[in-house]
Amino acid sequence: MRAQKLGAGLIAQNQSALPPFILYRPTSLAEAAALTQEHPEAVIAAGCSDLVAQFREGCEPGVLISLQHVDELRAISQERGVLRIGSLVTHHGGSTSPEILSSLPALAAAWGSIATVRIRYRGTLGGNLLARRFRYELPIIFSALDGHMHFQAGEDLATLPVSSLWDSDAGISGILTSVSVETGTLLWYGYERSMRPVSTVSLAVRKHAVAGLAITAVCGSEYRRPFVLSHAAEASTIAELDADFVGTALAAQLPDEAGDYAGTIAYRRHLVSVLTRRLLARATGNQKK
Amino acid sequence: MSLDSQDPRAAGSDEPTVELEFELNGSVEKQAVPTSTTVLDLLRNGFGKRGVRSSCERSVCGACTVLVDDLPVAACSTFAFDIDGTRVETVEGLAAHDGTLSAQQRAFRECGGFQCGFCTSGMLMLTTGLLRANPQPDREEIREWISSNTCRCTGYEMILESVERAAELAREREPDEESS
Repeated sequence: MRAQKLGAGLIAQNQSALPPFILYRPTSLAEAAALTQEHPEAVIAAGCSDLVAQFREGCEPGVLISLQHVDELRAISQERGVLRIGSLVTHHGGSTSPEILSSLPALAAAWGSIATVRIRYRGTLGGNLLARRFRYELPIIFSALDGHMHFQAGEDLATLPVSSLWDSDAGISGILTSVSVETGTLLWYGYERSMRPVSTVSLAVRKHAVAGLAITAVCGSEYRRPFVLSHAAEASTIAELDADFVGTALAAQLPDEAGDYAGTIAYRRHLVSVLTRRLLARATGNQKK
Repeated sequence: MSLDSQDPRAAGSDEPTVELEFELNGSVEKQAVPTSTTVLDLLRNGFGKRGVRSSCERSVCGACTVLVDDLPVAACSTFAFDIDGTRVETVEGLAAHDGTLSAQQRAFRECGGFQCGFCTSGMLMLTTGLLRANPQPDREEIREWISSNTCRCTGYEMILESVERAAELAREREPDEESS
């Protein structure tokens, strides 16, 4: 089967064509970080749901480091207004976590709305983000929340915003240990995926650092990278926001490249405007019955 | 037992392998397999569990669903090394040793939830996992779980009814088990 893949240049559908690799299963973060230094070319694995798909698409790692036994990457904490979620937390774990349900229930609700039951028990936060697939939803959710990814490469630590996932020069390297969300200034968060796959909108409202409100909307779709849209409003409370105006202003920022065969840019702007207004109406309690 | 795979050069073999020890339908199994082996391949080719269907191989269709420590997973998209030290269940382990069908199997037969049968083993394992997580699921929860498995024959109504009936049968069986 492998001869077929190598000889014909085809990726056989059957798993028998999956290339073998040297496997490491560290039991601590320190051990895992040391392995990544020793094997910088290694593929780092978590739940492997997406990774097996990558194998079938041609990924051929010589070395694979599985993090499944690094339990410290499953920690979730809320301290001093910062929610920190370990990269190995599964979709099921994230949506049912007591820490997340108490500190940011809207995140738990959004997280609980994605994937099927099988994936929900296997798929992880880290895997979903670092797969960098347009259709995956956690980058959309955590970008709107201004989430930050924390990496460890050997002794070095690095932090990157989740929204930088789509930058070609983001400099992602090392082991993703956790994602943090600052909750102190967050006034409201919501996620709209009813128009998936054409458009989804993840929206957060924060107290602006100086005055007014900062509204961040991240528009995702199955076929295009997510786009971060932002608006600064002079309002002091969410109830003062003009949902129609904000929705239109945010949608207008969507670049022309966001259009595709599933929806022209005009249609996507319209959808983003509608979904944003719907979310803001929910936020202000003015939702029509 | 080391968690790392064997160095193929040291072992004189062509490819790296990993030693597995896990429970399969109640029996402890030990096996060395190539590191890239999936659970689907291990169960079908290594243990003859043909009820673990090979279909989409993208964790989409649900035909290969097995339970790992009571949770449903897609065998096609799970590496075998990840079931080391776990308890794995396939549809072959549902019936009693004397052939008596489980509540789930009886319910699917009674309600016609099988149709062509290709998706049935995955549906039965999902039902098993669901009823362990919640013995009295409502229609919405059943729909949420079952919707992750694809049935190409027709609508899902009889399958939904089968799961509801399985929950009834499982509850009816509980008093007997307690008194035995």
